[in-house]
Amino acid sequence: MGGLPANRTVSGFAVSPADPKIMYAAVRDGLFKSTAGGEAWMAVGKGWRNLAAVAVNPKDPDVVFVATAEGAIFRSPDGGKTWERQR
Amino acid sequence: MSRIVGVALSYLLAGLLAPVLARPAAAGQAPPTAKGNVYEHVHALAVAPEGHQLFLGAHTGLFRSDDGGKTWKPAHVSTKHSHLDVMAVVFDPKDSKVMYLGTHEAGILKTTDGGSPWAEVNAGLGGLDVHGLAVAPSTPGKLHAAVREKGEGVYRTTDGGGKWTRVDDGPTGEVKVLASVNISTGMGGIYLYAGTSEGLQRSPDCF
Repeated sequence: MGGLPANRTVSGFAVSPADPKIMYAAVRDGLFKSTAGGEAWMAVGKGWRNLAAVAVNPKDPDVVFVATAEGAIFRSPDGGKTWERQR
Repeated sequence: MSRIVGVALSYLLAGLLAPVLARPAAAGQAPPTAKGNVYEHVHALAVAPEGHQLFLGAHTGLFRSDDGGKTWKPAHVSTKHSHLDVMAVVFDPKDSKVMYLGTHEAGILKTTDGGSPWAEVNAGLGGLDVHGLAVAPSTPGKLHAAVREKGEGVYRTTDGGGKWTRVDDGPTGEVKVLASVNISTGMGGIYLYAGTSEGLQRSPDCF
């Protein structure tokens, strides 16, 4: 699982149903994306705090949501490149 | 001379402050709205199979958004428990009316009618503190559940929660989130991914 911070709690995980090799893993202060079934990861977005969960829209897998533990919601329309706060 | 120093100082100050003043708010850094925040301790987020509704599992129950996460309202869960700490929210990918919740105190709840009524589907589970729940994408009657504390371990059902059986192996450590991923193991099964206190783990779902 190269590129994921080692020994960190992974609180959120989501997979693209269209291509299950595309997946997202959330740790407290980082969101990571793999396009290789988890073999390699890259950080997406920045400045994350208290991430709790991540979800992919099954009908449009480029659309990704994350939630913080406090209930802030962010949406990405482009597979994690850009993010907009919803709440 | 003092004027030159003053100008130089002001340039220096401006140079020091500019990056601070110009820095855009990074994603995730805006403070959460404290007032009326009922979503504390968010555990799970899911998009319904048809792609329109978002569901949020939290210490204070289940919430639904119909506008992409901007506004939320509580989703009533009929149960004998007065309080539900919703740890996991998953759907049957082929039937959006079928939804499962993993909870901290009531085990697993299932609806087959889009949210009303809900039934506890805990037969065979060793405990009721469920921290992860995963539906197999191609065979939605097959689910895995991660139970904590009493009866700790991973359980599997092949009939949509009718009966759960404890399985050996699987992820170790404290499971936070579980997902069945349609990647073939080459041994007749697919992989179960688990976000845990010890990182991300994956194991064949035929263990």
